[in-house]
Amino acid sequence: MVKHITPWLNAYLDGELSAAQLRQVEKHLAECDECQAELEQMRSLSALLHETAPTEDFLSTERFVSNLTLNLPRRPEHSQPRKALEIGWWLILVGALAVWLFFQITFSLSSVVLNISETGLLGNGLPWLQGDSSQTRWFSLAMDLFGGQLGFTGKLILSAFNDLSLFIRDMTSRFILQALFATLYLGWLASWWRRLSDHASPASAVPQS
Amino acid sequence: MTSPNAETEALLIAKAQTGDRDSFGELVRCHHSGVVNVVYRMCGDVELAEDAAQDAFIQAWLHLPSFRPGTSLRNWIYRIAVNAALDVLRRDPKTPLLDLETLSTPDSSAGPETVLLEKERAFAVQRAILSLSEANRSVLTLREYGGLSYQEIAATLNIPLGTVMSRLNYARDRLKELLASQLMDTEIANG
Repeated sequence: MVKHITPWLNAYLDGELSAAQLRQVEKHLAECDECQAELEQMRSLSALLHETAPTEDFLSTERFVSNLTLNLPRRPEHSQPRKALEIGWWLILVGALAVWLFFQITFSLSSVVLNISETGLLGNGLPWLQGDSSQTRWFSLAMDLFGGQLGFTGKLILSAFNDLSLFIRDMTSRFILQALFATLYLGWLASWWRRLSDHASPASAVPQS
Repeated sequence: MTSPNAETEALLIAKAQTGDRDSFGELVRCHHSGVVNVVYRMCGDVELAEDAAQDAFIQAWLHLPSFRPGTSLRNWIYRIAVNAALDVLRRDPKTPLLDLETLSTPDSSAGPETVLLEKERAFAVQRAILSLSEANRSVLTLREYGGLSYQEIAATLNIPLGTVMSRLNYARDRLKELLASQLMDTEIANG
């Protein structure tokens, strides 16, 4: 049974086939009367569509241009609010980075001060810094209740668990903070990208069928 | 008017983007007939097509500062033109009321009978085009009257290449059905 090439005929007529497809279609057309008739009909349709162009009823290009130039509205100059928006987008990024830097510096400085304080170099001048920050609440409670009964190994194990808890707590809070900043930053990046795409396309979009 | 070379067009665009109306006028001169052809086939009415063409160029003027240099101005304007035509049709629901009187014929020296027949053919063609859905009509119009390639249509309408091909196939098949008797006349005339 002969396989017709009807679906390719439009692309053939429009000159949209690749060289290989073109050869294939031309070979088939040379042998198939049915596809040839179909192609002729499509050519007739194209001729019919172009037969009647009412160009003489339209304003001449010169008159159209003159009328249009007179009617062209004032283009809204890259208005102030828009400029403010442009600056605002950059300020959001700069602001986010500044906040992130502030937190990083604060954390780092407080760690340094705490470490120094723990070595005793600062004397007893900063007792509020030391407080219970190196002890979790459960550790303090456990030590109060069973501290006297526990031996050295027990205290060491409990202390290791306390350090682990502190580590996890610090890591979690830092991770949440980093994730928050990453989300904010990526959100900003996505909005910026979308805004750029909107800029590049004309007013409205053609509806899909 | 033929399109200027890419360099001249880029220069005109750059000037028009800064507010030079004369340069924009030059760009309009270059694309006027193409745009009019497309919007007329979309609207099916000379008056509405004039409105749509004017709207399209005004929109192009207003949005020109956001036009990305290096991309095709023709495709960009055609996209605006197709949208302007659709907006005009929605704004003015009295259409499409085709009037035989307003349809012109290519050969004005022909006899009255021939003129009438020609007008009837033009009427049938325009009515058949208008009976297509907006999506199919947009693709057909950009291909047949805008002369855009499949790739350019896909970029202009923001649709995949396969969709362009299927819509075009559907539109032409539908037109062949609707214009069967006119096609027969054409084939007879061409021998």
